[in-house]
Amino acid sequence: MTARCASVHRATTDPVTRAGIISGPRGARGSHAAPPGDEDAELSDDALVTLFANGDERAARVLTARLGPKAFSVALRVLGNRAEAEDAAQEAMLRLWRMAPEWRPGEAQVSTWLYRVVMNLCLDRKRRGQRAGAVPLDAVADPPDPGQSAPERMQDGARADALQAALMTLPERQRQAVVLRHIEELSNPEIAGIMEISVEAVESLTARGKRSLAAALAGRKEELGYSDG
Amino acid sequence: MVENDTENSILEAHFAAARRVDADLPAGLAARMLADADRVQATWQEVGREARADGAGLWQQFLALLGGWPAMGGLATACAAGVWLGIAPPDFLPDPVGMVVAEQSSSVDLLDSYSLSSLMPEDG
Repeated sequence: MTARCASVHRATTDPVTRAGIISGPRGARGSHAAPPGDEDAELSDDALVTLFANGDERAARVLTARLGPKAFSVALRVLGNRAEAEDAAQEAMLRLWRMAPEWRPGEAQVSTWLYRVVMNLCLDRKRRGQRAGAVPLDAVADPPDPGQSAPERMQDGARADALQAALMTLPERQRQAVVLRHIEELSNPEIAGIMEISVEAVESLTARGKRSLAAALAGRKEELGYSDG
Repeated sequence: MVENDTENSILEAHFAAARRVDADLPAGLAARMLADADRVQATWQEVGREARADGAGLWQQFLALLGGWPAMGGLATACAAGVWLGIAPPDFLPDPVGMVVAEQSSSVDLLDSYSLSSLMPEDG
């Protein structure tokens, strides 16, 4: 984190031009945050962070809509607990807000930085053993997807819960690698950057993790709707 | 091989289900994130106002440049000592005031003992 935030540089000229990068949203998912306008949605994360550091309130809305779901999703799958995942995601975004004035556009991806913060927060929480009294994942209703029928939603919920139960049996680093690779759909080099390990180590972690997951889920095929093959 | 492919497709179905289920950010969480963002931005604005209030003007900046009030005290003492040495120098130093006064009062009598009247031609 420190290597990418070495100096304060509030923009003195047009921050979007200075940040110099316009791109489409990368894997943005739906959100309950206020919907950003089309122009804002085209700005890169770098440009939005710079805009935020210069006091632009809309930038916070776009960043929350774009990065908040990623932070929450990965925390949810790694921690296996909705309340703790919300806390971790909120804390990660708070660190993003505070870090914004020191962000150096172009040196790293904001999402990579955020994933790393989330992962470290998850590890901290695991170490501190703060899970007492938290609401377990499967006790909280998942938000309904309006594009799905009720049976489909039920099946998705059952499969996601089964996957989560299997994920929680994995060692911490394996779980992180599998979540980033197969749920967040990041590339191995991206995961290597987030976890600060080699690409080979990522491949090894995900391969072992998948084998363990397959073994854990093998006995539940019929129950989870795989009886046809 | 076929078994591995089946396992992979089953696993992928689980991952896809997890992606669909996790798609939305809880509304309360989004609001809390935005409230944090507002607070952080408000803190920066407050810090900016305080900085402007602290640096009230050029005099404050000049004072800060010199090193604050202690440096200013030393500078005033040195100035006063210089002025005093000029007015009442110790014995081993020339008296600048006396030198100036002497230069002003000295005069040279070019005619010395000559009388103007003796130089003037007499008529007749």
